[in-house]
Amino acid sequence: MDAVRIGRSNDLVVQMKALKISRKTAKFAVARLMSPVSTIGAAKFGPLSLVNESAPTMPNAEGWHRIQPRLTGICGSDLSLVEGHASTYFDDWVSFPFVPGHEVVADCDDGRRVVLEPVLGHACRGLPLPFEGAAPGDGDDYAHLVGGHLEPGIQTGFCSSTGGGWATELIAHDSQLHEVPDSMSDEQAVLVEPAAGGIHAALATWPAVQAAIQRGETPIVAVLGAGSMGLCAIAGLRRYVPQVRIIVGARYPHQQAFARSLGADVVVPAAELARAVRRESGGHIVGDYLSGGCHATIDAVGSSDSIMDCLKFTRPRGRVVLLGMPAVVSLDLTGLWHRETALIGAYTYGTESMPDGTKRHTFDLAIETAADCQLNRLVSATYRLDDYQNALAHAAGAGRRGAVKIVFDLRASDARNKKETN
Amino acid sequence: MARDDAPWKPSNLAKAARIGELVERITHPIAKRTYRKGFPYLPPTIPLGVEVPEDKPTLGADYDTDWARRSSAKFVRKGLVNGPIRLAVRGLASPKVYGVDRLHDLAQLKDPPPLIFTPNHHSHLDTAVMAVAVPEPWRSKLVVAAAADYFFDKRWKATMAALALNAIPIDREVTGRKSSDMIKELIDDGWSLMIYPEGGRSPDGWGQDFKGGAAYLSARTGAAVVPVFIDGTGALFGKGMKRPKIGTTKVVFGAPMRALEDENTRRFSARIEAEVAELGDESLTDFWTARQRSARNESTKLTGPEYTGWRRQWALSERREMGTAGLRRRQKRRWPDIGN
Amino acid sequence: MPRPGFVLEVDKSTPPILFWRGENFSLEKLPAGRSRVIYAPEPLPAIEDVDGAIRHALLNPIEQDPLPEQLFPGMKLTIAFDDVSLPLPKMQRPDIRQRVIEAVLDMAAEAGVDDVHIISALALHRRMTEAELRHAVGDRVYDAFAPRGTLYQHDAEDPDNLSYLGTTPHGEDVEINKRAAESDLLVYVNINLVAMDGGWKSTATGLSSYKSLRHHHNPETMIHSRSFMDQHRSELHKSNWRMGKVLLDSGVKVFQIETTLNTDTFPSPFGFLAKREWEWKPSDRMTFLASTKALNRTPTRLARKIFHSIEAPHQMTSVQAGDVEAVHRITTEHVYKQQLVEVKGQTDILTLGIPYISPYNVHSILNPILVMCMGLGYYFNMYKGMPLVREGGVIIMTHPTQPDFHPVHHPSYIDFFEQVLADTTDPHVMSQKWEKQYAEDEWYKHLYRTTYAYHGVHPFYMWYWGSHALQHCSRIIIVGGDPKTVRRLGFVPASTMDDALEIASDVVGRAPTITHLHAPPLMVADVS
Repeated sequence: MDAVRIGRSNDLVVQMKALKISRKTAKFAVARLMSPVSTIGAAKFGPLSLVNESAPTMPNAEGWHRIQPRLTGICGSDLSLVEGHASTYFDDWVSFPFVPGHEVVADCDDGRRVVLEPVLGHACRGLPLPFEGAAPGDGDDYAHLVGGHLEPGIQTGFCSSTGGGWATELIAHDSQLHEVPDSMSDEQAVLVEPAAGGIHAALATWPAVQAAIQRGETPIVAVLGAGSMGLCAIAGLRRYVPQVRIIVGARYPHQQAFARSLGADVVVPAAELARAVRRESGGHIVGDYLSGGCHATIDAVGSSDSIMDCLKFTRPRGRVVLLGMPAVVSLDLTGLWHRETALIGAYTYGTESMPDGTKRHTFDLAIETAADCQLNRLVSATYRLDDYQNALAHAAGAGRRGAVKIVFDLRASDARNKKETN
Repeated sequence: MARDDAPWKPSNLAKAARIGELVERITHPIAKRTYRKGFPYLPPTIPLGVEVPEDKPTLGADYDTDWARRSSAKFVRKGLVNGPIRLAVRGLASPKVYGVDRLHDLAQLKDPPPLIFTPNHHSHLDTAVMAVAVPEPWRSKLVVAAAADYFFDKRWKATMAALALNAIPIDREVTGRKSSDMIKELIDDGWSLMIYPEGGRSPDGWGQDFKGGAAYLSARTGAAVVPVFIDGTGALFGKGMKRPKIGTTKVVFGAPMRALEDENTRRFSARIEAEVAELGDESLTDFWTARQRSARNESTKLTGPEYTGWRRQWALSERREMGTAGLRRRQKRRWPDIGN
Repeated sequence: MPRPGFVLEVDKSTPPILFWRGENFSLEKLPAGRSRVIYAPEPLPAIEDVDGAIRHALLNPIEQDPLPEQLFPGMKLTIAFDDVSLPLPKMQRPDIRQRVIEAVLDMAAEAGVDDVHIISALALHRRMTEAELRHAVGDRVYDAFAPRGTLYQHDAEDPDNLSYLGTTPHGEDVEINKRAAESDLLVYVNINLVAMDGGWKSTATGLSSYKSLRHHHNPETMIHSRSFMDQHRSELHKSNWRMGKVLLDSGVKVFQIETTLNTDTFPSPFGFLAKREWEWKPSDRMTFLASTKALNRTPTRLARKIFHSIEAPHQMTSVQAGDVEAVHRITTEHVYKQQLVEVKGQTDILTLGIPYISPYNVHSILNPILVMCMGLGYYFNMYKGMPLVREGGVIIMTHPTQPDFHPVHHPSYIDFFEQVLADTTDPHVMSQKWEKQYAEDEWYKHLYRTTYAYHGVHPFYMWYWGSHALQHCSRIIIVGGDPKTVRRLGFVPASTMDDALEIASDVVGRAPTITHLHAPPLMVADVS
């Protein structure tokens, strides 16, 4: 690390290489218009830029660490930002300019190899916990996300104070760090965060599954979309939700193969999912809707069409869990009203109530899952940080190009390997 | 907060998103059609087995500025420096220049030797002020070492910097072999160099320790170092300020220096720093006081007092009070003198 | 630093691959996971001081005395040079032959040599036109020698100007140009574009007659040449080397000058043709789109004219002179250094994009027989070790394969296509049944000697060139070829690459491995 002393103060300023999103309206507009044609163009002319600058400074509080990412994943939500598609909802929940990247496995300055739980919760903002032992994502009042001694930001990767994973360096709080066991590879560890998301969504189906079990039916859960989140949700369903029969609609052959190997019972092309659900659950097709359907559905796509489809084949009083970030959609909700479908979001992780009544931390479950299910298989390609345009293009076309998860490999990065001076 | 504009109004981002949606509705079908055609209508995707060679960087320290020293570029620059830049500098900073007489002897020579000017650095204005203040014959043959990571990170910036200021890219931290070779070549060609030994603008108004680059280059090329103190630019357009203020500045040139026999780069660099500090003292007080204080080893260091926190800032404001340079204060309104 | 050759494993991220289709090209998507593409090494850096290097080679020959020492007043000096078939495409002026010949002539003038003949060693190829000769040897040489009748072209059908030197131990007749045989020194100026060229093949083939040629230009030899690009495993070369021995024994003194060129094949706007697709810049994509769209609407004649006017920015990478065999060893090393690409294992399907040009249709038409020769004779043989395609595999070529023949250049080809191919496509059968008739046809001989026609027997040789491939592969498919013509060749027409792969599937199964030879620029696959 190049460390430079400023003036007479003893603050170390560490140089880092980072991809940064700045809040430039015109660039967001350009990215948005270019993205349908060329992600490379959106990355080149959009709000994202590769910078060399000083790493974020440590807040004046206990428990903060400098961490140097080893691998950082590219997530769909990152991509939608780069392509200028993010919902303006976040405008007040994030602080520009920020470095994206929240699927991080990193070296911590205390020598541990850690995965990052990105949510910037109460602990790292120096605020009282909502309850004893709360995870960063817990709590029923999100005021803390814009308060405390950090700039606003729902999680690392959306906050200007902490930096993010698409950089050679960022800062993280003790409450966010989970040590990675030595037996686990970096490639497995980088999927812990998406796995946590998937497991959270899988557990969110539990009330519907439980009701089915109580009625003596075989609980059927459909998963629409088998990108990395969908696949993680399948793994979570198979491991933590008992007795479910999992039906997956996946568009690409390699996704279908992964879905099968992660424990899906029935895998069909996405367009055939509704009829596959009917074949499993029985019932009629009335108009576009099934008369019954599956007990719960996880939508891992998050578009108007996918949500609409999920509503059509989820049975009345069933549960649709939105795992993909939907942004602005237009829906005909008559069916939802009539069928009394529960449509719930599944953003993050925290403390989970398991089907057997115990409480577990989602990240602990995810670390188990990533190792046991060999989720490193999902890492399809790694890119250097400075090759980010190709990396983002690959991530945007992942399905078509036979890939699942694209990650930045920062292990060989120059800036990272420079020895500390001063 | 996320936004520092009026948070009760819809943000520009929200407006842009709405407009974007409308435009998208029109362009999306076309875009989709193009997208479906793929390569070669779109850029190729890279096969997985292929290692993409790192692009040879043409920006940053690797930006080639040779074109900016061709006669046509020189001609344009002359127009720029003597026209808009001079006007802007005068209007903004009204620099008063002292100590040029110290260079008089050299200027009289038939073949004035190239020099290395080493001013302190508080503001982007410094370069413009120097471009105007450096006396001829050096002014028209002056290259400016500018931070590669700041001035040469975008092509348009690099072009502007190279054309208007004859800037050459240089790494802040270490003068790399490539940069120093290039500078040696330039100096051998008779170009003078202006380099900020602090490596960057002052973050807090006080100076920073001098890096050894200037001293090293002087030793390597044999060109003399001219210490320069610029006062007041920090108050007008310091680091972090969004727009410049109008005020006055002072530029004090020192006498040319060379490394003494058996003086290493580090010690020479320290001597340059001390000399600039003394010039600073001179600009705040007067020549004699500065000399005396220097002799007593009491000159205020460029880097300011040792202590940190608010006292440092406090001391700075004291120092600024002393100077005549800085913000142009509004004249105290006085009653008209109507005589008794 | 030029990058070495490269074997790309095609995956889903691989962009479509460029295929030549005669006077046009297309992009074809190859199946992911089981296809690979072989890219040629990038052009090696050229010698900066070409004239200096040539002079140095002449003054420091290998296993021979320096050229000036071999020259004396009153001697008979003959300079023979490679004909219009090399290099491809023709190189930008000045041609390397011109530079070498001028250097030799300089030394000859200094030594006071008066009797100098310059002969184009074209064997049974067509004679070169004045423009072509001027391009090859340069205006200065042409204007000095052609008017005096001392710059002329070898005539393999002129009994008065051939001399019979005897037979090899294998009973092969050796007959070469009389002037060359009777000279005190024969200087041969060669261009080695592929490893097949040069060595004794220059003189023993280039300056010989049908009587001599038929001993190695026949199906038997061709089938046992594995491949032409690997002279140690090539019967063709062994025969030529035996003939060279006869030449030496009968007192012909040969000073061989061989040059190698880099593979800088296409000038700037067409640079993308030699680039790897994922490295195409926006300008390359624009040029590709513009040129394919324009060429689709361009009459073929005009397109041919445009393509044949391309002059390659080839540059010399080595020049060596002296003893034929010693020189050729070094030359071959240089050629391999430029062209060799290591490839692991054979493939079920070999795909080849056939370009507009072959050695035998410069300023002419790549007729169906030459399409066959280019694909099965040349590209198939671009290997060392073993063929790229496995025995019983399939070759898929892309070329329009129209039944177009150049009436002046290829008169016997037309009859060959109409008569011989209608009867048989088996090289052995046609050599027994038809070859003699075509070789001795008076009209063809007349055209060969007086106009710009290939010898009557030449189409047979073209067909023999592909003998090994015909025997080796179980099916040949031509994508985009005229169906009737393709069937006449004994091949299978297909309209698209996907169709071709479907057609191939009943021979090689549903998931065959595919290898595409991304040529030109030329390369030799070192298959292990």
